[in-house]
Amino acid sequence: MSADGSSHDAFAHDRLIEAVALRRDREAFAELFSYFAPRLKAWLIKSGATPAAAEDFAQDAMLTVWRKADLFDGRKARAATWIFTIARNRRLDMLRRDARPLPTPEIDLADEEVRRPDDILAMSEDAERVRDALSRLKPDQVEVLRLAFFMESPHSEIARQLDLPLGTVKSRIRNAMIKLRLILEPSEEASR
Amino acid sequence: MNPNRNPSEDRLLAYAAGNLSPPEAVVVAAHLAMRPANDAWVRRLQAVGGAFLDEAAPSSLSQDALARALARIETDAGEVKVPAPLNDMPELPEPLRRYALGPWRWVGPGVRVRDVHAPRDGDCRVILLKIEPGRETPRHTHGGVELTCVLSGAYATETERFDVGDFEEADNDVLHQPRVVSDTPCLCVVALNGQIQLDGWLGRLMQPFVRL
Repeated sequence: MSADGSSHDAFAHDRLIEAVALRRDREAFAELFSYFAPRLKAWLIKSGATPAAAEDFAQDAMLTVWRKADLFDGRKARAATWIFTIARNRRLDMLRRDARPLPTPEIDLADEEVRRPDDILAMSEDAERVRDALSRLKPDQVEVLRLAFFMESPHSEIARQLDLPLGTVKSRIRNAMIKLRLILEPSEEASR
Repeated sequence: MNPNRNPSEDRLLAYAAGNLSPPEAVVVAAHLAMRPANDAWVRRLQAVGGAFLDEAAPSSLSQDALARALARIETDAGEVKVPAPLNDMPELPEPLRRYALGPWRWVGPGVRVRDVHAPRDGDCRVILLKIEPGRETPRHTHGGVELTCVLSGAYATETERFDVGDFEEADNDVLHQPRVVSDTPCLCVVALNGQIQLDGWLGRLMQPFVRL
């Protein structure tokens, strides 16, 4: 794996987080930082943050990775999903802080790894299935989904960015979600 | 699973991505705590988010970014985070237990509300709504979207019945008059957007007195 290139060993990042958890391994953390911080920054820039704010966000999210590494469980979520969730919670917290007029207690509302310890889903296998599912969507469906993840108030902004009518964006997202369900949850879909 | 009593796919996607406003996220979190299938789906969507993060084209960081990060973890004393105390309603699902609650207020015959002190988002806020059996809320329309999750009991609208864990999205076109159809009071958590407009002569009489 190169410092910021793509990872070829799917579990390499999982092992780095485990090294941070077990040994407070600073080299492992540096490697995780070099890989994920530039991607977190890119995400925030896409969602409308300034480069400086996006970099601060990436710094803070990675500090949370350092602090919470012992909560990481590779059987439940792979490294990228776990770090995505940490960043997503952080972003929600940020929205909260900006929005709240009164001081309210700090709450880990979305601290999923604590909230549902008995989750028995084989999430590692899931990550592969998710990748496979994405590869079976049409490229324009993957594109709107990606934008839906990385932009706030997605629909209108996606429409503007892709220069498409709002209705087209909405139906494209809807079709992408239907297809994702069909691929990932064929049995549940039948009963929905 | 009836799609009408579940959050829309858009709503679940926005929740997974962290794009919902905080009050809306609170109601969806309560629903997910009671609907494992939707919860599992949201986790899958987060794996989609993870895949997108993994393949994102990286932005370059400032020169000293790594050095700063390493300096921070050197001096980091961990997170000082005292969990908020539990509130006085053990019957609430776990995601709602640590929000402070306001006092119960009377807003009509058999209808009481109390504020959930979750962060607001502009005009959007979270309340608990408790309605006695056989009672209905005053007929009303919405200034914006209203998200509701049933925590106990059941209610019915003109077209549909909502039981424990069910989720309703009512937009501003819907003239809404839920009626409790369970033998016990119906308790709901609601994200309200905009002002509620009460309808009918009684509603118009009450409007000045009722702050929902």
